[in-house]
Amino acid sequence: MISRNTRDLMSVAFGGLFARKVRTILLLMGPVIGVAAIVAAVGLTDSAKGDLKAKVAQLGTNLIEAKAASSFGSQNPTLPIDAVRRAEQVKTVEKVASVVQLTDIIVSPYPQAKAKYETTPIPVVATDTRLPYVLEVPLTSGRWINASDNENAVRAVVIGSGLANELGYLPGESRTIDLADKPYGVIGVLGKVELDPSLDNAAFISFASADADFIKEDVLPTKLYVRSTAGTEQVTSDALRTAISLGGPKEVATEIKAEALQLAAQSDRQLQLIVASMGLLAIIVGGIGIANVMSISVMQRSTEIGIRRALGHTRRTIAQQFLLEAMVVGFIGGILGVLLGAFAILVGVWLSGWVFVLQTWIPPAGVVLAIVVSIIAGLYPARRAAKLEPLETLRLG
Amino acid sequence: MTEVFSESIPESQAPFLQLTDVSRVYGEEVKVFAMRNVSLSIMPGDFMAIVGPSGSGKSTMLGLLGCLDLPTSGSIKIAGEEITTLDDPSRTRLRGRTIGFVFQQFHLIAHLSALGNVETALLYRGLKPAERREKAMDALERVGLGPRHDHRPVQLSGGEQQRVAIARSLVTDPIIVLADEPTGALDSTNAENVMQIFESLRSSERAVVLVTHDQGVAGRADRKVSMRDGEIVADEYKVLS
Ligand SMILES: Nc1ncnc2c1ncn2[C@@H]1O[C@H](COP(=O)(O)OP(=O)(O)OP(=O)(O)O)[C@@H](O)[C@H]1O
Ligand SMILES: [Mg+2]
Repeated sequence: MISRNTRDLMSVAFGGLFARKVRTILLLMGPVIGVAAIVAAVGLTDSAKGDLKAKVAQLGTNLIEAKAASSFGSQNPTLPIDAVRRAEQVKTVEKVASVVQLTDIIVSPYPQAKAKYETTPIPVVATDTRLPYVLEVPLTSGRWINASDNENAVRAVVIGSGLANELGYLPGESRTIDLADKPYGVIGVLGKVELDPSLDNAAFISFASADADFIKEDVLPTKLYVRSTAGTEQVTSDALRTAISLGGPKEVATEIKAEALQLAAQSDRQLQLIVASMGLLAIIVGGIGIANVMSISVMQRSTEIGIRRALGHTRRTIAQQFLLEAMVVGFIGGILGVLLGAFAILVGVWLSGWVFVLQTWIPPAGVVLAIVVSIIAGLYPARRAAKLEPLETLRLG
Repeated sequence: MTEVFSESIPESQAPFLQLTDVSRVYGEEVKVFAMRNVSLSIMPGDFMAIVGPSGSGKSTMLGLLGCLDLPTSGSIKIAGEEITTLDDPSRTRLRGRTIGFVFQQFHLIAHLSALGNVETALLYRGLKPAERREKAMDALERVGLGPRHDHRPVQLSGGEQQRVAIARSLVTDPIIVLADEPTGALDSTNAENVMQIFESLRSSERAVVLVTHDQGVAGRADRKVSMRDGEIVADEYKVLS
């Protein structure tokens, strides 16, 4: 609970501000314009990248790709056979899926089209049952390759969303496509993989089918998709390289899939800084304005101050009265500035079709900044007011 | 009118305000004695006028009595408390508790209503707003301005403004009401009205001090202190026959 004296002080400060409306509006101008400029600067530059930011947030930044780096002497580099198990040893790894990129398999929707697809080959990827779960991409229709498909080496294929489009595949349609002349039944369509668009055109089959139909030697993974604990992608990515190669001859390269997207989503810091510093300049000039207007006000109100002193108000109380007026100006000006700034962002977003972004810490920070600047500006006039001698201001007869 | 000397003041009563050997000197090299070795006691129930020609030290006296100024030497006691050794905040609070001011120029706060002006004297005293308002209303009613309580100073005549100022000086229940040329800015009708209010303030719980060079005003007082060149040259009591 606030003390009665504090409440008295507030009623005096608010009363003084309310009674001199024009002067109060003048005082408010600085913090309002300054805070509005800062809020708008940060908000608009953030909003310009708002859709990308939302995308990064939605896709997650923790998808890591680990693939065999081409080392001397091998044209199709592979990872060790137990790469998944090795990757799972890394504590920050949450889930892993492995794939084998197959080469020299001509995929054709029907035998007559083979010539065309020879020139623009469709990548074939053998993979485990966990891939959509690790990519966090659902199927748009049908189902994914399951354990039973894998055990029985069923000739089942899941196609990427781009490929489904190209082939004019309808959801639920029963369709067979040829993989190196072997008929595979399409069982599902994988959704769009934003973080790895190369998968959108691929055809996915089980390891067992790959082993049975296409690969003579051991089926060795060429690539892992890994989800790490959020925020640990860099350390996980570094740890994976050693964990998978274990000092062996097979070198591993890793890539954080969202890195490029994150980079693109970053606001133009330089522009933000320039406009925000202009806002800061505005608020400082506003602060000087407050100091100025309040000093004049102290002169004009010197008789009032003298009377208050004669009536028993202490110097401290007089100083607090002016400081509180400054603080209230900062508070109201800050709130109005945030509202004005937010409105400017809305207009900008509306004009450019961006996504409205205003980080939650900005409005309170703007108000606090306005209050701090106003209080600092009020210090000098408050001191002057407190120093006035009642005897000199009252002009006794 | 009979002249009575200060020795005749009843010894049993303690003075509200006591000046002992007070001097107030202005200037460093050329010293101006605005007041020189003045001793004066203001007693409960006093209705006193301080008179003197221009430059005699009336305003200086008012500043010292009102605890707005400090003497160069000597002692000033208000309600037995030595004020010359008090620090500024304590002196300010003592002033607020014990002294009410009425000024020639009224000195009301322009943006506040009559009630707001009277309430200003009651701020920072731990009062609830309702209590403060009630006390201020009572004071305004005492000077006959209850119905005008929400009027701003500009909406009031000079006489009414001075009555608001009197209400403001009374609302804290001071032991001394100090009025500086209170009728100086008023026409004769309003001046008469204000003087009647001052006369009605006579009480054994209070002393009223009017600083004036208007002999008519001074003539209404029970006690007249005359100053010249910073010294008290006469201290007379009027005895009603
Ligand atoms: N601040 C000051 N600095 C220097 N001298 C001063 C100051 N204030 C008063 N004096 C001098 O002290 C003397 C008494 O002044 P004071 O104002 O008390 O007289 P007064 O009786 O109020 O006169 P008036 O009726 O003209 O108002 C005068 O000689 C005056 O010049
Ligand atoms: Mg004078």
